[in-house]
Amino acid sequence: MSAQVKDKEAFQRLSFLYQAAHCVLAQNPENQELARFYCHMQRSISRRLVLRQDPSVKRTICKFCSSLLVPGISSTVRQRRCSGRRWSVIRCLCCGQTKRFPSNPAYKLWAEQPEALLENQPQTDQKPATRQGPPKEPSAHKTETPTVTSSLQSCPTPQGTAEAGSHMGKGGPSRR
Amino acid sequence: MPRLKDEAIQDKLTRKAVVLEHCLRRRKKEKRKKTKGFSAKQRREMRLFEVKPEQQKYELFLPLHELWKQYIRDLCNGLRPDTQPQMIQTKLLKADLHGAIVTVTKSKCPSYVGITGIILQEMKHIFKIITKEDKLKVIPKLNNVFSLELDGFISHIYGSKFQLRASERSAKKFKAKGTIDL
Repeated sequence: MSAQVKDKEAFQRLSFLYQAAHCVLAQNPENQELARFYCHMQRSISRRLVLRQDPSVKRTICKFCSSLLVPGISSTVRQRRCSGRRWSVIRCLCCGQTKRFPSNPAYKLWAEQPEALLENQPQTDQKPATRQGPPKEPSAHKTETPTVTSSLQSCPTPQGTAEAGSHMGKGGPSRR
Repeated sequence: MPRLKDEAIQDKLTRKAVVLEHCLRRRKKEKRKKTKGFSAKQRREMRLFEVKPEQQKYELFLPLHELWKQYIRDLCNGLRPDTQPQMIQTKLLKADLHGAIVTVTKSKCPSYVGITGIILQEMKHIFKIITKEDKLKVIPKLNNVFSLELDGFISHIYGSKFQLRASERSAKKFKAKGTIDL
């Protein structure tokens, strides 16, 4: 299954917008409007073109006001205990909405399970020739091309985007 | 009904069933489906770029410009004299312009010509640009020609054809229609 070119460009655009939001926020922590604008644009593009995004990216963007959530600057993170389990509660300071995640280190996101990658899907009628294509491409369909972002971040950029690098890595077990 | 005489009314009422009250009350539903978003009014008062960050210097946005340059280089694979301009054009049409340094070359309104700056926001009909003097300028897209420069590639953007929200631009296919004059 070859990568569809338009999708790849769109993913690049999404990842660029995400990094630009981080960059702007790093330069000036007071100005969250521009970061919010970029994240809103990112969301509307992905909504328009129906592109899925990695949960680790989605978790750092507020679902309601679409501002970029940086713990300490635009959001607060607390641990609460409720109904016997531990939850991480992230609260967006701009709109006051909360997001709750149960802290269960054994929980695996769908995107991380090995069966989610297209490479591992049961082969029905795929020719081996097309499979030789870059193995990262199929996963690009599901997530926001981590390869592209790594190439963008390798060049010298302010430390803001270095933080973006740590955020862009897969979510892994939810934060404790 | 009020005009008829009493007996006539009685007559009518005995035969007919009259609905006294409509059951279909027009319930003003609040449209609660928007739990995951805000209405446009709330968005308008929260979202937009304030004037106070006008204190932000032009230098603060230079890293953004660097990021944009890398992004575009990555997008068109960096080969400059080699690739046909059409490929670059199609890619630029779908690309994002935030962070680009742009100059107004031709315009129907002469006071716009020559403005240079970094694009901060792109809305449906305008660009918001910050100039070197730290001034936030709002430039309409209509009847303006912008020129974009990157590594020796200069491309002109005809703003009149570009009157689309930036998110819609990725989804739309462009056709050559009409004249390119201002």
